Amino acid sequence: MTKSLTFLGIESSCDDTAAAIVRADGGAAAILASVVAGQTELHADFGGVVPEIAARAHAEKLDLCVEEAMARADIGFGDLDGVAVTAGPGLIGGVMSGVMCAKGIAAGAGLPLVGVNHLAGHALTPRLTDGLEFPYLMLLVSGGHCQFLIVRGPESFTRLGGTIDDAPGEAFDKTAKLLGLPQPGGPAVEAEAGAGDAARFAFPRPLLDRPGCDMSFSGLKTALLRARDAVVAEHGGLPRGRRADLCAGFQAAIRDVLAEKSRRALVDYLACDPPHPAFAVAGGVAANRAIRGALEDVASRHGARFVAPPLALCTDNAAMIAWAGIERFRLGHRDGMDLWARPRWPLDQDAPALLGSGKKGAKA
Amino acid sequence: MPSEPLVLAFDTSAAHCAAALLAGERVLASRHEEMAKGQAERLMPMLEEVLAWAGTGWRDLAAIGVGVGPGNFTGVRIAVAAARGLALSLGIPAIGVSTLEARAHALPRPLTVIEDARRDAVYWQEFGTDGMGAPALDALADLPARIAAPGALTGSAAALASPRLPGARVLGPAMPMAEAIARIAAAQRGVPQPRPAPLYLRGADAAPPADPPPVILP
Repeated sequence: MTKSLTFLGIESSCDDTAAAIVRADGGAAAILASVVAGQTELHADFGGVVPEIAARAHAEKLDLCVEEAMARADIGFGDLDGVAVTAGPGLIGGVMSGVMCAKGIAAGAGLPLVGVNHLAGHALTPRLTDGLEFPYLMLLVSGGHCQFLIVRGPESFTRLGGTIDDAPGEAFDKTAKLLGLPQPGGPAVEAEAGAGDAARFAFPRPLLDRPGCDMSFSGLKTALLRARDAVVAEHGGLPRGRRADLCAGFQAAIRDVLAEKSRRALVDYLACDPPHPAFAVAGGVAANRAIRGALEDVASRHGARFVAPPLALCTDNAAMIAWAGIERFRLGHRDGMDLWARPRWPLDQDAPALLGSGKKGAKA
Repeated sequence: MPSEPLVLAFDTSAAHCAAALLAGERVLASRHEEMAKGQAERLMPMLEEVLAWAGTGWRDLAAIGVGVGPGNFTGVRIAVAAARGLALSLGIPAIGVSTLEARAHALPRPLTVIEDARRDAVYWQEFGTDGMGAPALDALADLPARIAAPGALTGSAAALASPRLPGARVLGPAMPMAEAIARIAAAQRGVPQPRPAPLYLRGADAAPPADPPPVILP
């Protein structure tokens, strides 16, 4: 049996500062503590995450989160076997603060340091929560990302497709903003959609007419804006009922695109004959019940087990970073004190870039 | 192994990576490398080199001193985040030191420190014989109106500002930045200190969205 390992994880790649302690004992894993300090209120006035504001908050919250996680887990630095930290991709100011804090802790405590890809953290979470076996199909769907991956190992990912522009979470946030709903947009739009008629407005299902698993959501945002403006022009404002209809229509469009692209991804994945077929989702958008229900249907129609980690482990957190760190550590991976914070770090290094190109290379 | 308390100080608030190790009043080792980028990769290896040079280790330290700016935002956060991580795992205080105060350290007063803040602006602070003014950010052109009696000038923008402040002579630094931070931190070591926090002086440059939400009708 593999040796028991206890890792501190640190995450600061977007607008959540997080620290967690995870202990892995053979095949089983336990989250001893998971602390997430959000920044929603700091960014509320700006209609989106402001990188410099996020970086400022991370720099002064990281050590406090680590301290709290250690206290909740009731352990000291001597009880740890290593420190794992998100080293990218993400907003570089926050990632850099996290990496430096982790280096300081690792150096002072004499612990090994493991840099973790934030997306690998999400992609490996189903192994932490449900012990999934490789290979499984993963849909990462959040405010910053949207991609299908076949997860073959802790460092082996094949990207089947992804968004060529915006992420669905970002589209939910933008929709909420356009419709005068609070941030984060996902829960607000979902709540409104429950009372709306999805058929009143016709929204596009982008890229469904093209083969493959790539997606596009920016046109959907534009369509929503046009529909809203038409309603406002007609009524001199946005009636609540119409707002609910717009939310329902928008959510149905995202749901349909994700469900159909998931079906295609499942077909590709099942073609590689996995012994225990499984389809896992992660990211904040996976918390949307309409979307989750549709994805669950697709999985069951294809005989794949459907796994959605609990919401607190679907959205950004540090337990997934500690876990991914443990998985990399077991493969013999260690980083030096020169560990580099990377704004761009695609999981699948071989797939052509969907986002970002040129000198800086693929974004994710 | 020296018997006096060891203070390790470092600074990445401008285009450099700098460190100094102090034992009581003595500098045991120091490094200063000019670099426009790469401080995040270089800082920790440099600190390990400084400790090794003096034949000491992380566990021998009594305190950390860190430059908190004002300066390059990312650079300041690199050093502050590392200092807070080190302080936490070593169980020793990390003491934040303003780089304006570090520049003024051991120079004759009255003195005005003027540091380049880019965009034709400067960070500046007055140091009198009996205390100091508040650190500030101003346009270079506004300095004459803000500073009545500058005394001597020092800092990266002192020479640039001196023609606008007639009669003020320009002084070089009394010691390297990291050494000054170490000495100031060592002097404050006995007094409880807040955790080091970046001294930005300049806002985050974020603008509220231009498009207002629609009027919601019942």
